[in-house]
Order: sequence, then C-alpha cells, then structure tokens
Amino acid sequence: MKLNALIQNRAALAGSTITALFIIIIIVGPMISPWGSGAFDFTAVLKPPSWSHPFGTDSLGRDVLTRVMEGARISLMISASGVLAAMCLGITAGLFAGYLGGWLDAIVMRMVDLLFAFPAFVLALFLMVALGFGVTNVALAIMLVYLPIFARITRNTTEVVRGDAYVQAAQVMGQSTPRILFREILPNISAPILVQASIAVAFGIVIESGLSFIGLGVQPPTPSLGVIMADGQEYFRRAPWVLTMTGLTVTIALLALNLLGDGLRDLADPRLKRRDA
Amino acid sequence: MKATTKISRRSILKSGAAATTLAMLPLWAGRAEAACGTLRAGITGYNVINTLDPAQASLIPESYVIWGMFNCLLKFDADMNIVPDLAESYESVSPTVVRFKLREGVKFHDGVEMTSADVKFTLERLSDESFGSPHRSKFMPISEIRTPDAYTVEIETAEPFAPMLSYLTNTRTGSQIVPMHLLKDGTPDSFATNPIGTGPFKLSTYEPGASLSLVAHSEYFEEGLPTVSAVDIPLIAEESAGVTALLGGSIDITSTAPFADIPDLEKDNRVQVLKSGGTNTRFISLNNAVAPFDDVHFRRAVSMAFDRQPMVDVVLFGEGRVANGVVPSSISWAATKEQPMETTMNPEAALAELEKSKYGKGTEAAILTWGSSWWKRFAEVFVLQVNQVLGVNFNVEVSDSGTVYQRMQSGDVQGSIWGWLGLIDPDEYAYEIYHTNGARNFENYSNPEVDALLEEARRTLDLGPRGDLYRQAEALAIKDCPVLPCFESNVHNLLAPKVQGFVQRPYSGFGAQLADVKDC
Amino acid sequence: MLVGTLVVFFVMKAAPGDPALVVLGDFATPETIAKFNADRGLDAPWLMQYLDWLGGILRFDFGTSLSVSADQDISALLAFRLPKTLFIGLYAMTIAITLSLILGTLAAVNRGNAIDTGATSLAVLGVSMPDFWFGYMLILGLSIGLGLFPSYGFIPPSQSILGALHSGFLPALAIAAPMAAVFTRTLRTALIENLDREHVMVSKSLGHSGRFTFFHHVFRNSIIPYIVVVGLQIRYLLGGVVIIERIFGVNGVGSLMVEAAFARDYFVVQACAVVFLAIVLGVNYLVDLICAMLDPRRAR
Repeated sequence: MKLNALIQNRAALAGSTITALFIIIIIVGPMISPWGSGAFDFTAVLKPPSWSHPFGTDSLGRDVLTRVMEGARISLMISASGVLAAMCLGITAGLFAGYLGGWLDAIVMRMVDLLFAFPAFVLALFLMVALGFGVTNVALAIMLVYLPIFARITRNTTEVVRGDAYVQAAQVMGQSTPRILFREILPNISAPILVQASIAVAFGIVIESGLSFIGLGVQPPTPSLGVIMADGQEYFRRAPWVLTMTGLTVTIALLALNLLGDGLRDLADPRLKRRDA
Repeated sequence: MKATTKISRRSILKSGAAATTLAMLPLWAGRAEAACGTLRAGITGYNVINTLDPAQASLIPESYVIWGMFNCLLKFDADMNIVPDLAESYESVSPTVVRFKLREGVKFHDGVEMTSADVKFTLERLSDESFGSPHRSKFMPISEIRTPDAYTVEIETAEPFAPMLSYLTNTRTGSQIVPMHLLKDGTPDSFATNPIGTGPFKLSTYEPGASLSLVAHSEYFEEGLPTVSAVDIPLIAEESAGVTALLGGSIDITSTAPFADIPDLEKDNRVQVLKSGGTNTRFISLNNAVAPFDDVHFRRAVSMAFDRQPMVDVVLFGEGRVANGVVPSSISWAATKEQPMETTMNPEAALAELEKSKYGKGTEAAILTWGSSWWKRFAEVFVLQVNQVLGVNFNVEVSDSGTVYQRMQSGDVQGSIWGWLGLIDPDEYAYEIYHTNGARNFENYSNPEVDALLEEARRTLDLGPRGDLYRQAEALAIKDCPVLPCFESNVHNLLAPKVQGFVQRPYSGFGAQLADVKDC
Repeated sequence: MLVGTLVVFFVMKAAPGDPALVVLGDFATPETIAKFNADRGLDAPWLMQYLDWLGGILRFDFGTSLSVSADQDISALLAFRLPKTLFIGLYAMTIAITLSLILGTLAAVNRGNAIDTGATSLAVLGVSMPDFWFGYMLILGLSIGLGLFPSYGFIPPSQSILGALHSGFLPALAIAAPMAAVFTRTLRTALIENLDREHVMVSKSLGHSGRFTFFHHVFRNSIIPYIVVVGLQIRYLLGGVVIIERIFGVNGVGSLMVEAAFARDYFVVQACAVVFLAIVLGVNYLVDLICAMLDPRRAR
C-alpha cells in the first residue's frame, strides 16, 4: 500500500484526512478549550448553542463541545483497546488454526462460530450484565464481539497462503512455526485485517455508546459519548442540542472511519479498484 | 392535620385546542377516542409489576394499581387528614386500644360481604412471620385484635403506638383488606395476578410488563362510584414517552411526568399539569461507622459545603424544594420548619469545621448512586460542589439500586445517595432513620437523647405534641449530620384537557383517585 | 446450540448481585431472602440448575421470571413478546431490502455519475449513524416536528395491522437504515461485477434488450451474494432491535432483555439470549437453503 495510491483513492483520502483531523481535535481541543469538561456552572444550565458554547450546555451547565471532545477520546480509546485486544487474540488463534488445521482448527472455529452466532449487541449486553458496568468491561465486551471476526478472517486467509512458495521456502529453511506465522504469513495477509480493524473501531464506538446510552456501559462522571447522549436523551425535548450535536459528531467520526475502511479495501482488492475507478 | 397541598391546574381547553388535539391523533387512535367509558390511565416511568397482593407489594407501580382495587379501614382526604374508609367511624377507647365500626354491606369483587373477620385476618396475615410480608414490622406492635361482632374491630397494642392509624390508611402500608374466604388456607399463587378486593375497580386482564385493564366494581359501597366503567393501564417505561402518548391522545392520565418537561407542559393547552410537593425525602446517607464520615466535624463540614437550591434547579429542573430535614414538609405538623444552620451552605463555617476534623483536604470518599436519570446527577452535583469548597477528593460510584441497598444494609459503603418515597407517617422517616434501632438507620447513628424523644413521640397520640417531639428529635439529630437532607421532589400528573375530577395526593395516590374521574 | 446454552448459563451465574434482593426490594430481610432462594431452587448446585434449565428449554419452558415479572412463566412472556419483535424485525428487513434494491440498482446502472455518488454517499452515511441516535432524530423530525408518527408505543398486529404498520414504522426505519446501507453497497458491487462479465457482453451483442439482459443475467447472478449478506446482517438487525425497541417502547424480546438486565433477572436474560441465538441459527439455515436453490451451478 503506497502513499500515492492512498492519495489517489478519494474515499481513503477523505477518510484518513477527517480521521486525522478528528484525532487532533479531540487531543488538542480540551487543552485549548476555555471550559473544563467537568467545570459546572449552575447559572448556565441547558443553554442553547452560541458562540461561547457552540454545542450549548448540559444539565450541569457544562460546555457540551468540550465534553464531546473529551468523550470522543474516551470512547475511541475504549473501542480501540477492545479491538486491539481482539486482534491480538483473534489473529493468533486464526494463524494457528489456519496453518496447522486439524483438530485445533476444528475446536477454535467451533468456538468462533458460537460467538459469531450471537447478535453483536446482544452479546455485549449479555456480558455487561455478567461482568458489571464500567470502562474496562465495555472494552472487554467489544473484544469478545470482534474476536471471532478477526479469528475467522485470519484463519481463512492463512489457509489460502499456506501453500505459497515463500511459506514453503521458510519451512524448508527450518524456521519455527511461530516465526513462519508472524514473520512470513502475517505481513502478507495484513491488508484485509487492517481494513476490518478500521471498520471494527467504528462499530466499537457504536457498541460503547449504545451500551452507555441505555445505562449499562460507562458510567458518569466519565464523559463517554454514550454517557453524554444518555444525559441529553433525558431532557431531549427541552434541550435537543445535547443529544443531536453529540450524535452528529459520532456520525461524522464513524463516516470518516468507514470511508477509510472502504478506501483501504479498494486498495487491498485491486479487482474493484480497477473497475470502479 | 394541616397539609399544604398546592395544586396548580391548567384552565380547561380553549375552543381551538380540540382541533389541535385531533390533528395530533395518530391514525389508529380514532377507535379509542369514541369510548369515554374507558379511562386510559398510563403508569409512566415503570413497567414492572410483580404482585398485586397488597401484603407482598413493595414497588410503587404495584401500589398505584392496588390502591384502586382495595380499601383500607382508613384513608387520607385531599388535605391529608385521616378519614374513615371501610371503617364508618373509629374511636380511641384507651391509649392502647382503637375501636373501628365497619360499614355494613361492603362487597368483595366476588360478591362476598366484607366483615370484621376479614380485617382481623388481613392484619394477622401481615404480622405472620412465615408469610414474610415486607410490611410486617409496621404491625408488630399489635398485641391483640378482637372482633366483638361482624362490624366491630378492636386493635390493641402492647403500648401506645401513635403511627398505627397512618398504617391503616390506603397508602404503601400493605394493610388493604383482603378476603379471608379465599386466603385462609394459604394464599394461592393466582392471587398475585388476579386479586380480589373491595375497591372501586376489579382486574379484568393483565399482560405482564405491558398493561392491565380494570373494570368497575358494580357493587362498590360508595354511591355512584366509580363513574367510569373501565380503566386501561398501559405500563410505559419511559416518562417522556408518557408525555408523547398523552399529547398524542392515546392516554388520558399519567402517573408521573419528567421534571425537565414541566415548564413547557404548563404552557401547553393540550394538557393539564397537576403538581404538589411530594411526601418524600432525598438525602445523602453517610456511614457514621467508617472513615471519613465517622467524624462529626467532617460530616458537618461536608453538609455546609454544598448549596441545596442548585440541586433542586439542576437535578429536578426546579421541580421540588430544599428539605429542612428528613420529615417531608407535606407532613407539616411534624416537619422541621426552618432550614437548620447545619444544612445551609456556608463555606467559611464548613472550612472551620474541617479544621476541627481529623480529616483534611484531599480526603477521599466514594459516593454510591445508580440509575440512568437524575439519581446520577444528584451524586455528581453533590460531589462537584463539596470537592470545590473543601478541596476534598470525593468520587461518584455508579451501580444499580439493588446493589446500593445491599451495600448500605451490610455497611459496605462510605456514602450514598438515598431517599424514601410514599411513606406517610413521620415515624417512618424520623424514628426509622434516626433511632438507634430504626429499620432505615443504615448510617449506624446512635444518640440516646434523640432515641428518647422518638420513643416518646410514638407514645403520644395527640398530633400537636407528637409533632413537636419529632421536631425536637430532628433538631438534635441534624447537629450530628448522620444524613444530609437535600431536597423533596414534586409529584406530577398529566391529564388530558377533558379529564375532570382527578384529585392528586402528595403521596401520589394514583389508583385510588381514578374512581372519582368524571369525564375523560 | 447446546454449547451456546452452556456458555449463556454459566456466564450468567458468574454475574454479581443477588437477584433475591432486587426482587424483594426495599424491605427484604435475611429470612425472606433465604425463603426466596429455596422456593426457586437457587440454592441447588449449579450443574443441577443447568440440567434443569436445559431440560426446560427443550420443552420451551424457561422457568419463571424472578423480578421483571415475578413468578410469570418466561415462556408466556416470550410468547407474548416474540410476535412483536418478529413483526418489527420483518418490517425492518422489508424496508431495508426495498430501499437497497432501488438504491443499489440505480447506483450500479448509473455507475460513476451523480446518482451513483448520491446513493453510495447515502449508504456510507447509513452505516455511520448510531441507530439509536437516528431513532431520536426520526422522533424529533417526524413525530415531534410533523406529528406524522407516534414516538412511543406499538400497536400489536394482533390488534390492528394498520396500527402496527403505522406505529412500527419509525422503529423499523431506525433499525433498517444501517442494514439498507450495507445491502445497497453489496448489491451495487455485485451488479457492477456481473455487468462486466463476458456473458453479459455476449448477451448484449446477441441483441437481447438491455432490460432482459439485466434481469436475466446480471440480477440473477448478483442476488446470491446479496442474500448471503442479508443473512449475515440478521445479527445486526437483532442487535438493533434490542436498543430500538427500548427507545420506541415496543414490548418485544429486546426491551424485555434490557429490562431484565436492569432488574438482574438472570433467567429472563438467559432466555432472551437463547431466543436470539435460535433466531440467528434459524435464519442462517434458511439462507443456506435459499442459496442452494438459487445457485445455477447446483441447480443443474
């Protein structure tokens, strides 16, 4: 994947630009904002959007924009760490299963199929009841939702490249199995995994905000995007901007991640790129 | 008993409003609109009803329905005075004996007459240990129940027990009269979902988690009641959805309303808003047995380090009032009248108390809370203010209300948000919270002087002196700050413009009031 | 499926919190708690509890509810709520399929021009909106703003089909939006691939009309990957159902699961999870059957 190819793909370019901008904003934003994300002001409760509060204020008179930037960082971190953990475990399981085959493959894939059969949100909800609320448990739930997906992709692609010349060469040279898996095979199958990762982070944010929105995920005062929206939902009629603006921000962030994922997919799958161009 | 029940009601619909209402009606609602015989009274904010057996019920929505299906010996009138209900009259024979004369010809829903035997059975069932009623402790002081004839009941207590009359009213007491002839050989499982009472309405169908429908009890003892022939009670989990349903014309009455929407709704001529100061108390419970709240100076410092009015404004969107003590102001004869110094924000005094305390700035403590709505904000507003004023480091810990309650009972807590709702006797607040042996004293608070006053109050039948005793006890207790009283929230009902005759009660007596509705 | 129930059961058992306390509420005492647990066999060894439960499922008997609706048969609760969930689910699926067939075909036929760009952008937007937020935006616009649809409550189809279609439209649309987006993209990609195939060129060169070629060759070949994706999306559909049902006050299995989660009603949460699992497996089986029937290679 070369840089100029990335630039030539409009979707990938737009996606990566917005994503990068977004990350800069959520890191730098809270620092330069005149308001703190926890700074309450009981005299300025539920103020509609204005120049000093572009997203208005919430029920405690806090600046919603600052909280959204802070919340986006937290949500992104939860989602990314969940997805990262899912990648580590899923890729490892998938590599071994796809490369070695046999009973190991059968067992791993049975378990993966099982997890995969649960609707993602049902599984996440179920885990929250079992594990209890909180940041770590939301990340854990996201991990378990994506674990089977990464395991499956890795296994299937590994199975395809298992017989390729460079793998056989490595085998002949007597390299250890882990070395072959992580040094030879993984770099060659990384493209579809990366595509999946960018989409997974996007949906991880949806899962986090969904759980927190119904009150089973992250809990206040930690301002995750779902927590802010849950608060805004309570007085939605009186101050619709809290829920509306926060949701709009989430939509733009996810749009960027999805565009990035699409772009990466096109680049990784030259068939479509050629036809689509 | 005097009570301040302020009821603001919207003037009834202007001529143009009818058209607006019609325009808002969804396509499918046309059917229901024609039949005014059926009142559609939505229970909002809750959709769990576990049992309709009065002796087993513990949830508010259960009471909402039970109140309309049963009667007690006594009830509260619109001014919160205790008046006879199934009893025709009552008198105090001696300080320990009250005699009730029952109405004659009262019929249960199955046509059997209600007599003194049913009353005796009901109260003995409540205090039967093996039955395990959550209301048992209220009826423990009863030593004997005598039924000289079918329409006379004498209740004797071991020593004078003033709260007894309140416990015999149609509120969250469990003392609703149940039919002995159906339950004497043990309560059948079906009684929880298909109960038989004497009330104005009887159950027709029940869809768990979704709705109930009631029909009028044709042999109801009060002449001309109920005026509506049937009541549909949808269970609507989200309060805001109840508002939409009412504005859309799919229901006529709601049991609650979202605090945030009240100002807009009061301006809306498609709805009448009933509101009154509720009989409830919301406070911060501090565990007096563990650090840092084992130090009275520290507790006092915390109590004076936050302003309660912003709490009302921010947590309840103004729909409530600052509490002077734990006895709700709607029980005006016993409630503390002025806001005590110890519960008034005063940063200088708070810091001075902090100086005297063995804990200083940077002290950490976890405040438990739960839920999705204002309970979380309640804790947040408290912690934010106290941290700012005292420089301490409190944090909010969120779980669910069951867990919070469990931890409070086991003492595995530093501080938590808590409150009581719908209790109607000051004894249930002051005695139970402040007394060393109080059933709601999760703070491990103990003060012999306070205990003595509260015990004296239980023995005093005359309301005036009894109320004074509660005030004296509370004045002493508040100096020790075992709990930090914060606010009381208003109760609301939303009514469609046409609805007439529904009179709100401060303890929010929903079901019991539906019989009086004249137009819908 | 068996392993699924095992996982569901034991994960649930490890959950914190005591169901008895939640049920008995504010006035619980140690004695009432012990009695409660004994009555419901909650003091038996776990393995016995599991076998009991599993035996029950096979007879569609999930035991009784603890706290969401005490002592009610869970099977009765499910029987009462499942039709609503299935109705909303099918409704959403219908909306999603209709939208995607139109948008996907338009995009593929008009590849590269404004219509394609518009449809594709709409699709990316669709997957990017959190469904519950979209639900609220629908409420704000179509319900509060224009008063076209009720924002809460669902008339079951058993009462009135028209009422169900009307009151179920917003929740179904909110669930359908992300799915319609995914379907549109899949269909567009599949159609484009098939449009470029040799036999399509051949068919055109033989003088068949554009419409005949499109439906006879292109569409038929594109429909299999489309159906596979539709089958896969059932997982997201059911996930969406859970949260959307709650927002719109549809008394279905999804809102039951959330209520049970809050009430720590273990048996009900378990039962709902099993029901969702069974639906997914059932639909996947159905999709396999349909694909086998449609596949021209296998048909031969």
